[in-house]
Amino acid sequence: MINHHLSDETLWAYVTGSLPAGHALLVSCHLELCKACQGRLAEAEALAGALLQTSEQLNTSDELFERLLLRVESEKPSRSLSCISRPKPRQGVPSDLWGVLGQGYSGIKWKVVGPGIRQFVLPVESSEGEKARLLKLSPGYMTPEHSHHGSEMTLVLKGSFSDETGRYKVGDVQEADDLVHHQPVADTEEDCICLAVTDAPLAFKGLLPKLLQPFFGI
Amino acid sequence: MQLQGNDGGSRNYLSSQELSVLLQSFGKTRSKEVFRQLFIFFAPRLKNYFLKGGASLELADELIQETFVIIWRKAELYDERKASASTWIYTIARNLRIDHFRKERRYLYKDDRFFSKELVVDETQFESHHQAQLSERVQKALPLLPAEQSKIIKLAFYEDASHSKIAQYLQLPLGTVKSRMRLALVRLRKLLKGVEP
Ligand SMILES: [Zn+2]
Repeated sequence: MINHHLSDETLWAYVTGSLPAGHALLVSCHLELCKACQGRLAEAEALAGALLQTSEQLNTSDELFERLLLRVESEKPSRSLSCISRPKPRQGVPSDLWGVLGQGYSGIKWKVVGPGIRQFVLPVESSEGEKARLLKLSPGYMTPEHSHHGSEMTLVLKGSFSDETGRYKVGDVQEADDLVHHQPVADTEEDCICLAVTDAPLAFKGLLPKLLQPFFGI
Repeated sequence: MQLQGNDGGSRNYLSSQELSVLLQSFGKTRSKEVFRQLFIFFAPRLKNYFLKGGASLELADELIQETFVIIWRKAELYDERKASASTWIYTIARNLRIDHFRKERRYLYKDDRFFSKELVVDETQFESHHQAQLSERVQKALPLLPAEQSKIIKLAFYEDASHSKIAQYLQLPLGTVKSRMRLALVRLRKLLKGVEP
């Protein structure tokens, strides 16, 4: 049961294609896991379609349609029209994430970045200084308390964590803004694996976290 | 209405229902005349969409053509229970724009997914009659939004601007941009439910 969903503004950014790549990856992973947000996505897409349908118009030349006809008519008759079914998680890994990792969680070469915290930076090329990583939190360790200059989105993929704002289980999304201070901790016996996307360097509070910051590589 | 704008007085408007019928009919009959009608309706709107998104005139023409090449190939797969014709065509155009401007995102927004046969949503979650009237409702509801809110919704739609770029552009804190967008979408949703068809 998913309790924490994508915000409206994030869904809208996804639908309009204006999310940076890492954020878009996180959104599509959540959508794969969440029926409720699939419904909200359809609604947002319908809104975008309606905006197109009612938008301003600019003249196009007749010649453009003639050229188009030449182009499509010279195409070979189309091969089989493929109907592919919706992607499903593979070994518990959302398919878009699998596409990036090329494997499941067990084969990942984690890097220790602090006590009880390991990370794997995802090879997601992105504009806008965004960074996408998998984080693995071991139970019983506190991540350094931190706040954000930009925003951070987190999707729980395995296990669960808790912080001041609540408890997050598999499929849950946390969208943390500039002003949120939080200190997530894996709250079961199990390691917690999350997809975390940040669009500006995290700002850590306190001296020790400051010392750790270089290790996060952010 | 301002929304219909620049069409030089000639009325080029079809209802969602009519567009849906056109697209389905093209999928079945492959009639060039129907294809042309779809082109007449959508090409001028797509041109506006691509140009505002930063395409040159030449590129906009090219992207319009590419959109229609995909419509030509895939119209048979169109299913009105899944999406209105405008939504279906919007998604094609958006994916082309992303492909063009953001090569890095190729692995997301996959076309094959979009053309998948399964229903994307349970019909209980999103009723198709609601969808059929949505464009008409949006047309009525948008002018009722405060200007700053409709602006922020359209910025993401047209300019391909991320939340942080919009924040930069409007010189507002990121949090303000997000909350304004959230308010606008909540408000719009209420308006869409409340406005009479
Ligand atoms: Zn959800």
